[in-house]
Amino acid sequence: MGLSDQVEVPQPIKFVLNWGRKYSLWVFNFGLACCAIEFIATSMSQHDFIRLGVIPFAHGPRQADLMVVSGTLTDKMAPAVKRLYEQMPDPKYVISFGSCANCGGPYWDSYSVTKGVDQIIPVDVYVPGCPPRPEALLQGIIKLQTQIQGESLKQRYAAPAALTSAPVGAR
Amino acid sequence: MTPEEIGQRVVAFLDSDATEVEASFGTITVTVPAQRYADVATFAKTTRGLDFTFFDFLTGVDEAENGYGVVTHLYSPIHRQHILIRTVVPNDDPRLPTLTNVFAGANWHERETWEMFGIVFDGHPNLVKLLLSDEFEGHPLRKEFLLTSRVVKAWPGAKEPGE
Repeated sequence: MGLSDQVEVPQPIKFVLNWGRKYSLWVFNFGLACCAIEFIATSMSQHDFIRLGVIPFAHGPRQADLMVVSGTLTDKMAPAVKRLYEQMPDPKYVISFGSCANCGGPYWDSYSVTKGVDQIIPVDVYVPGCPPRPEALLQGIIKLQTQIQGESLKQRYAAPAALTSAPVGAR
Repeated sequence: MTPEEIGQRVVAFLDSDATEVEASFGTITVTVPAQRYADVATFAKTTRGLDFTFFDFLTGVDEAENGYGVVTHLYSPIHRQHILIRTVVPNDDPRLPTLTNVFAGANWHERETWEMFGIVFDGHPNLVKLLLSDEFEGHPLRKEFLLTSRVVKAWPGAKEPGE
């Protein structure tokens, strides 16, 4: 991405670029369980996260900036999550939505549930709850936007998310 | 036709092999020896007057030192009757004939029962894992299966009522 990964972009330009990025988050809902319903509720008119610039109509991971993993991640599903995350273009963000995606939640002792999506992919914001209310997701989105606003473009573009080095092969 | 009459017909078919017949809440439960299990399912499906043509489910039960129970639930849409065919296989060699040639729908149920309990269904066309990931080892619904998270941190309360 040109010079921005070599030199620090001056503050006014950085502010405008980050401001633009944080208010056009095309989101990709990785709905795995009941939390996905809360995500859908957040996207609907009552809570309406489009007013925060979160656009829930990404055609797929290749067009998305933000992935919301909402629900119980099983060991069998984990390779698919990793693969779809790797298909997203940088810069990309992940919100882990709900207790299951955070740490396994009520399935902490299960034989088949991955104990947190952060074991597979890097997570930017964790939203606790079982399931969290839509307001909690809005709060999580605002936290993420605060993070994006303060980001250094040089670091972001020079070193994409560190955990994505080993791609998952076709199954 | 009442559940009791269905039970009598199945017992008559099994001759002396039926070990237990029980009717509760409108469902007849027939406990059969493992070698007659497929026979009874075929009999219940094909016999005029019983017509248990709808395969509902098949699953396993870990009955500790008694072995593994396998329960097959059939439904008769014509007579609106249910039947549970129950059989017990030994712990050291849990093995049953497949029902896939009687009910095609038993295919996935037997695969799941196989991966969860380790009960082998002889003659099954494709006995491979259904729900678990390929690298998974063990049969997680057996009582002897150790949950690694529980080894690290014990369950923080009573497992059974009154404990």
